[in-house]
Amino acid sequence: MSRFLFPRWSNAVLPLVAVGGAIAPLYIVFLIAYAWSPKTIEVGYKPAQPVPYSHALHVGQLGLDCRYCHTTVDRAAHASVPATQTCMNCHTQVQKDSPRLKPVRESYESGRSVLWTRVHDLPDYSYFDHSAHVNRGVSCVECHGRIDQMEVVQKAAPMSMGWCLECHRNPTDNLRPLDRITQLSWDQRTEMTAEEREALKKLYHINPSENCSTCHR
Amino acid sequence: MMQMPPKIFFYLGIVAACAALIPPVLAVQSRNTTSEKPPLHPFLDMDVQPKFKPQTESVLFADGRSARPQPAGTVARDEAMEDTHRNFGVVDGQWVTTMPRDLPVSMDLLRRGQARFNIYCTACHGYAGEGNGTVNRRALELVTNASGPVNGTVWVQAKNIHDPTVTVQPVGQLFNTVTHGIRNMAGYGTQIPTDDRWAIVAYVKALQRSFDAQLQDVPPDQRSKVQ
Ligand code: HEC
Ligand code: HEC
Ligand code: HEC
Ligand code: HEC
Ligand code: HEC
Ligand code: HEC
Repeated sequence: MSRFLFPRWSNAVLPLVAVGGAIAPLYIVFLIAYAWSPKTIEVGYKPAQPVPYSHALHVGQLGLDCRYCHTTVDRAAHASVPATQTCMNCHTQVQKDSPRLKPVRESYESGRSVLWTRVHDLPDYSYFDHSAHVNRGVSCVECHGRIDQMEVVQKAAPMSMGWCLECHRNPTDNLRPLDRITQLSWDQRTEMTAEEREALKKLYHINPSENCSTCHR
Repeated sequence: MMQMPPKIFFYLGIVAACAALIPPVLAVQSRNTTSEKPPLHPFLDMDVQPKFKPQTESVLFADGRSARPQPAGTVARDEAMEDTHRNFGVVDGQWVTTMPRDLPVSMDLLRRGQARFNIYCTACHGYAGEGNGTVNRRALELVTNASGPVNGTVWVQAKNIHDPTVTVQPVGQLFNTVTHGIRNMAGYGTQIPTDDRWAIVAYVKALQRSFDAQLQDVPPDQRSKVQ
């Protein structure tokens, strides 16, 4: 058996191989860190819904408050998606024959729920609580983005553990007075000074927990 | 002169370098666009557990709801409505004229009522209760549309709560309107808890009073300011 000999031209390639060998691991690490980040995977999920319900119309234009429909958001952990009856408060009269509202009317008559597709869904081992946030000065906009401008709801934040903790470690800039919680166009970062936000944190005694058992039970 | 590798290796190298650009480009695209498809989820860990969270589906029941509707004719333990004053605004078949005993009128209650009124009622009745809310306005536009009402829209003007037929109503009757609705207005009993409905009623009364204020209502030391 003859021994394998590198051809003479491999000397020319050697520096290239060295550079390539150094870059490849970096490439893989950065690619995975970027592509597998919840910011890439989770943000921007925008499922099609059975009814073309628009927050931009109902909240942005008509000025409905979030709590008109998501009634339990300041009372419970879960922010309920409204029952058909809530839509029918208005839609028994307004746009009552609209083809776009057909699934809502059918649900009203049959008593079966409209099958909205969930946009946000934390893993079942983590426990989030809406009332703990919206009654403590954290607005919907910090986590859900400008819902009042969305025709179709999309996921605006990664909602990963790192993201939760980022705010729990440094909540000051995310705090606003309680009467502005659902006013998404208002921004405490421009409307309030840093001192005012700091004062608000003291006033409300905000001290978010980093204990594992706060969110995992 | 150094010996160079065969041409084919150059071409392979260029192809490989181009191929290496594809995954990052896809990743950047995925970060900056929205998608209708559920996020990739290769490792399920314990993300999906066999338990029910609020408003989730169940295959056990024909209507697919995990939260069961209350069977007809039953009352949950904490829902007994023996106190008709508090729960219906009625005592001995008459509308009550006072607030429930455990909800005396206070500044806090009125503030709560104002906040709740602004959430649930202003869309139609407007902030001052005059019946000129955004939904009321838009609905009237849809009805009076030049080429006929849009999609069969009909609308009854939301009542001005300062109308004499409303201002004379006792609180019990207002409470009943908020809870069960009236004529063309839907009831808010399922959306608003009992305490908040009473707070709204107290605020409506205050709002009505504010439209009918007399000079005598202003504290003497402030009167010169409004004269
Ligand atoms: C007229 C009723 C109504 C109002 C007012 C309303 N919503 Fe919604 N919201 C819905 C309905 C119906 C859905 C479910 C369909 C969908 O996702 O578009 C929903 C879905 C959502 C979701 C996604 C839930 C999921 O599936 O994970 C978020 C977040 C949300 N709303 C936030 C808000 C915020 C913030 C406001 C106030 C600025 C608001 N909503 C006002 C009716 C309403
Ligand atoms: C407070 C009143 C109100 C409530 C509650 C409400 N809507 Fe509407 N909705 C309106 C009005 C007013 C319009 C018409 C706006 C326009 O045409 O400019 C409208 C329009 C719509 C349209 C567009 C209809 C078309 O053909 O253009 C859809 C779809 C819709 N609503 C769905 C819903 C759903 C689903 C719910 C329940 C989650 C709901 N709405 C709750 C007032 C309401
Ligand atoms: C601190 C961040 C945060 C704030 C503030 C917040 N949400 Fe959420 N929201 C979440 C998370 C996280 C979920 C997913 C919860 C789950 O899957 O259990 C969620 C889910 C929802 C849902 C879907 C139903 C549910 O509970 O799973 C609705 C509707 C909703 N939010 C509405 C609102 C509204 C309206 C507000 C403002 C009044 C608000 N949220 C404020 C983080 C937030
Ligand atoms: C924008 C800021 C912000 C984000 C993002 C946020 N939180 Fe919070 N969280 C707070 C604040 C502020 C409090 C209130 C702390 C207090 O009451 O002192 C809080 C309180 C809580 C509580 C209640 C703690 C208690 O003592 O009862 C839980 C549970 C919680 N957060 C879970 C989460 C989870 C899970 C996420 C991520 C999905 C999250 N939070 C994201 C700001 C945030
Ligand atoms: C503020 C709330 C919060 C706190 C505090 C918290 N977590 Fe989490 N954790 C979460 C959320 C939300 C997720 C789910 C993230 C996701 O969607 O992948 C999570 C996910 C996890 C996971 C699974 C990660 C994966 O991708 O499989 C582990 C393990 C975990 N947490 C451990 C811990 C430990 C240990 C602590 C205490 C040091 C802790 N957590 C404290 C909110 C929290
Ligand atoms: C979707 C629009 C809408 C909303 C929201 C609404 N109303 Fe009404 N309301 C009406 C309409 C329309 C009428 C007139 C009904 C009729 O005459 O057929 C009315 C009538 C009334 C009346 C007069 C009843 C009478 O005896 O004549 C009162 C009082 C009242 N509403 C209070 C409220 C309160 C309090 C709220 C908030 C909890 C509220 N409404 C929310 C549309 C609405």
